[in-house]
Amino acid sequence: MEINFNINGKTAKVDVDPAMPLLWVVRDELNLKATKFGCGAALCGACTLHIDGEAYRSCSIPVSFAAGKKVTTLEGLSESEDKLHPIQQAWMEENVPQCGYCQPGFMMAAANLLEKNPNPTEEDIKNNITNICRCGTQPRIIKAIKRAAQLSQTVTA
Amino acid sequence: MATEDKKTKKKFSRRKFLQRGAIIFGGTVVAVIASKGPIRRFLAQKAENMDFPLLVSTQEPSFWFEVLPDNTILYKSTKLEMGQGIFTGLAMLAAEELEVALEQIKVVHANTANGVEDSLGTGGSNTTLSLFKPIREVAATLREMLKAQAAKQWGVPVAGIKVENGIMTSGNHKATYYEISTSTKEWKTPETPELKPSSAFKYVGKDVKRIDLKPKVTGKPIFGIDQTFPDMLYAVMLQSPYIGGKLKKLNTQEAAKVNGVVKIVEDGELVAVVAKNRYAAELGLQKIEAEWDVPKKWQQAEFEALTTVGLGTDVRIQSEGSPESLLEEAPNQVFKQEYRTPLATHAHMEPHGAVAHVEKDKATMYVGTQASTLFRSAIAKAIEAETEQLNIETTYAGGSFGRRIDSKHSEKVARIAKIVGKPVHIFNTRTQEFQNAIYRPQTHHVLAAKIGENGTIEAITHSQATPDQVLGAIPANIGYTLLGADFVSAGHGASILYNIEHKSATLWQNKLPVHTGIWRSVGMFPNTFAIESFINELAHKTGKDPLKMRLELLAGNEQINQRYKKVLETLAEKSGWNQPKAAGIGRGIAIGNDRKSIAAAVIEVAIVDNQIQVKKVTQVLDAGLAINPEGIRMQVEGATMMGITAALYEGLSIKDGQITATNFHEYPMAKLSDTPEIEVIILEGHTEPYGVGEPPLAPVAPAIAAAVFDLTGKNLRTLPLKLS
Repeated sequence: MEINFNINGKTAKVDVDPAMPLLWVVRDELNLKATKFGCGAALCGACTLHIDGEAYRSCSIPVSFAAGKKVTTLEGLSESEDKLHPIQQAWMEENVPQCGYCQPGFMMAAANLLEKNPNPTEEDIKNNITNICRCGTQPRIIKAIKRAAQLSQTVTA
Repeated sequence: MATEDKKTKKKFSRRKFLQRGAIIFGGTVVAVIASKGPIRRFLAQKAENMDFPLLVSTQEPSFWFEVLPDNTILYKSTKLEMGQGIFTGLAMLAAEELEVALEQIKVVHANTANGVEDSLGTGGSNTTLSLFKPIREVAATLREMLKAQAAKQWGVPVAGIKVENGIMTSGNHKATYYEISTSTKEWKTPETPELKPSSAFKYVGKDVKRIDLKPKVTGKPIFGIDQTFPDMLYAVMLQSPYIGGKLKKLNTQEAAKVNGVVKIVEDGELVAVVAKNRYAAELGLQKIEAEWDVPKKWQQAEFEALTTVGLGTDVRIQSEGSPESLLEEAPNQVFKQEYRTPLATHAHMEPHGAVAHVEKDKATMYVGTQASTLFRSAIAKAIEAETEQLNIETTYAGGSFGRRIDSKHSEKVARIAKIVGKPVHIFNTRTQEFQNAIYRPQTHHVLAAKIGENGTIEAITHSQATPDQVLGAIPANIGYTLLGADFVSAGHGASILYNIEHKSATLWQNKLPVHTGIWRSVGMFPNTFAIESFINELAHKTGKDPLKMRLELLAGNEQINQRYKKVLETLAEKSGWNQPKAAGIGRGIAIGNDRKSIAAAVIEVAIVDNQIQVKKVTQVLDAGLAINPEGIRMQVEGATMMGITAALYEGLSIKDGQITATNFHEYPMAKLSDTPEIEVIILEGHTEPYGVGEPPLAPVAPAIAAAVFDLTGKNLRTLPLKLS
C-alpha cells in the first residue's frame, strides 16, 4: 500500500505493508539511521521520533498511523549541522554520549519535553523521560536537558 | 598440523615483508611498526598478575597511521570504541608526539584487510594503558621519519627542523607532513626516538571532550546495525527459547508465504528467515513452527544450586599462613556468611548482529567487535574461506561490556550470507538478546573469619563458586586442563587484599548448561560484593568504623598502601563520612583494587515506598596517570549507574527450561529517576595510566548493601538487593 507523509520537511512516499513499524520504514526504506532499534516493544525509547509534534516510540507504531502527518527524526531536528538544535548543542556542551546508541531517542524525547515544558525541574525530567541507557549517561542527560532549557530561553529572548 | 605449518609460514613471511619493506608508503599511506618491547613487557607483567594470559597471542600488533591530503593524520585503531572513550585518549597520545593539534587526528576502526593483527582485542580496561607507550613511540617514529626526509630534501640538519601543527620549518624551508609523505617512496625506520617528558605534555592531563561527539549527537550511521549494501536483504535467525534446546521438528511453510519473505535458510541447526525487509523477516519468524528437544527443563532452584561452594573443581588461588586450621581450632570465634550474585546479561542497547556479504572469492562483514582478528579467523573458518579473503570492517558498537568478544553469532550471520549469496543484515530481537546470550555467571561465596579476643581479624577464608568466563571459549578443554578453573576472569578479585596474616581464596568451578562469559569487571564484580560486604559485617561485629577498619587493614610501607590510604582519606573527607547523616539516610562504603587502579565509594541511600533509592555517590578513583580526566569521570559515572542497576534490579531467572526475561520490562534497568548525585574524585600523581572502565563498577553494590544495613539493620547478601 502506498503511504504518504512528511519526513523532516520533505514528502515521503512508501509502498509497504501498512502494519510495518514506522521505525523500519524510516531506517530502511528512507535510509534515515539515527532512529534506533532497541527492544521492539516501546520499552527502551531508542526509536523515539516526533509525529505532529508528539513523541512516539516508532518500533510500535504502524506506518499507516503516520499517513498525511509530519514526522521528525533526529536528522530533521536541527536546521543544519552547523546550527544544532538546543538539545543537541547542550548534549555537545555536557559531553553526554558514551556508546551513543540510545542518545537519538533520548534527544528526541527531551526535545519534546522542552516543547511542552520549557523549564522543567529535575523531577519533571526524571518523571517524564523513561528511556534506557546502559552506559550510564543519565547524570549528563539530566544536566544537558537543564542546559538546553537555558539555551532555548536565550535563543527566544 | 599441515594447516598450522602453512599458517605459521604465511605469518612469518608477511612479518618479514613488513620489516624488510620497512614502511609501506603507498603514496600517501604511512605505516609504522611498533616496537614490541613495551608490549611484551606489559603482557608478561599482566600474565604475572594473572589478568588475561589466555587471550594473548604471540603476534606483535602493528600500528598504522595515514597522512591525509588536508594534513590530518588518520589513526586506524584495532581497538573497539564501544563507548569507553578510547578514541579520544589515543588521539591525545598520538598528538603529543606527532606535534599536531588534537583536531588534526582522526581515529577510525582499522579493518582487518589493513593487515593489522590484534589478537588481544579490546577489553580488561587495558586499551589506554597497554598503548600508552607504544602509540607515542610509533607517532614519534613517524614524526622523525618525516623530519629526516625533509632534512634530506632541504639539505639541512634534522635537529634544526621545527614542527608545529604538522608543518615542518627550517630557515626558509617549509612543508606539511603530507607534502613530505608524498615526496618519496624510500623510507627508513629510525631507532625509536626518545619520548617527550610528561612535563612537556600538551594534552595529557587536560579535560578533553569526546572526539566522536558530533557524529553521535547528530545520529550518523556509525553502528553495525546502520550498515548497508546495495540489494541487501534482512534476516532473523531462529534460536532456541529453551536452555540446551535442540531443533526436533520444523515447519516453515507458513513463514515462506509471508509477503516479502524471499528464502528460508535451513542448514542443520541454522535456520533463518530472509526477507526484503526486517518486518517481513520478523513476521516470518513468528510463523515458523518449531519443536524443541529439551534435555532438561531447568527450574531456578536447581539451576542456581549448580553453582555452590563444594561442587565441581576446586583451585586454591591464594594461600597465606594456615587460615583453615585456625578457623577449625576456634569454632566459637568464627564468623561466617554466604553471598550470591545472579545470572545476568549485558543488555547493551544495540542488539547483537552483523551485516555480511559473502561472495565467491571474498567476503566482507560489518560488525562491532571487541576482537576483529579472532573474528576474522573464526568466521573465515565457518564459511570455509581463507582468512585473507575475509575483511572485517569494525564499526562503532552500541555498548558491549564484554559481550562482543564472542564470534559465534557472527559466524552464523556469515554462513547465512553465504547460503543466500546476497548481502544480509541480521540482528537479534531483544527477546533473543535475553534468551540466547552469553551470560554473566551466577556466583556463590562463603566467607569465614576468626575474630581474636581483642576484635582483630586473625584469619579469613573466601570460597567462590563460579562458572567460567573465558575457559569455555578455548577449544578442546585446554583451558580447563591447564588451569583447572578460570581464575583469570571469573576468579578475578577473589583473593583477599587485606593485611590479615592467615588468608586463603579458593575457586569452585562447575559448568552451567548456558554459555557464560565476560561481563564488565569480570570476577571483580561478584567478588567485591561478597568480600566487601563481609568486611562491612566484620566491622559491625567488632564494633569498628568500616572506613577506619579498612585503613588499618590496608596500612603498610609499600606504594600500594600509600595509595589505599590516600584514596580512603580523600573519600572520608569528600563524602563527609565523619559528618552526621540526614534523617532517613544510610551510608555505606566499599573499596576495590582492579587493573592496578583503586576505586572506592561511599554511597547514601534512602528507602522510599519500600524501595532502595540511591541518593548520593562519592567515588574516588586512583587510576594512575589521568590522560583525560573528563573521559575518566564519564567512565566512573557510567560504572556507577551500571553498578546501581546491578545492585538493585539486574538478574535473570529460569522457569520450565527458559530464561524468563523476554524484554526490558522483565529485566529492569536504572532510569533517569534512579540517578543520584554523583561526585567523582580522580587522584593523580603517577607516571603511567591504569585501568579505568571497570574498576569503579565493583564497589557500588557492596556500598549500597552497607548503606541499607546502616539504615535498616538488614544485611542483604543476595543480588539484586531486595528489602522483602
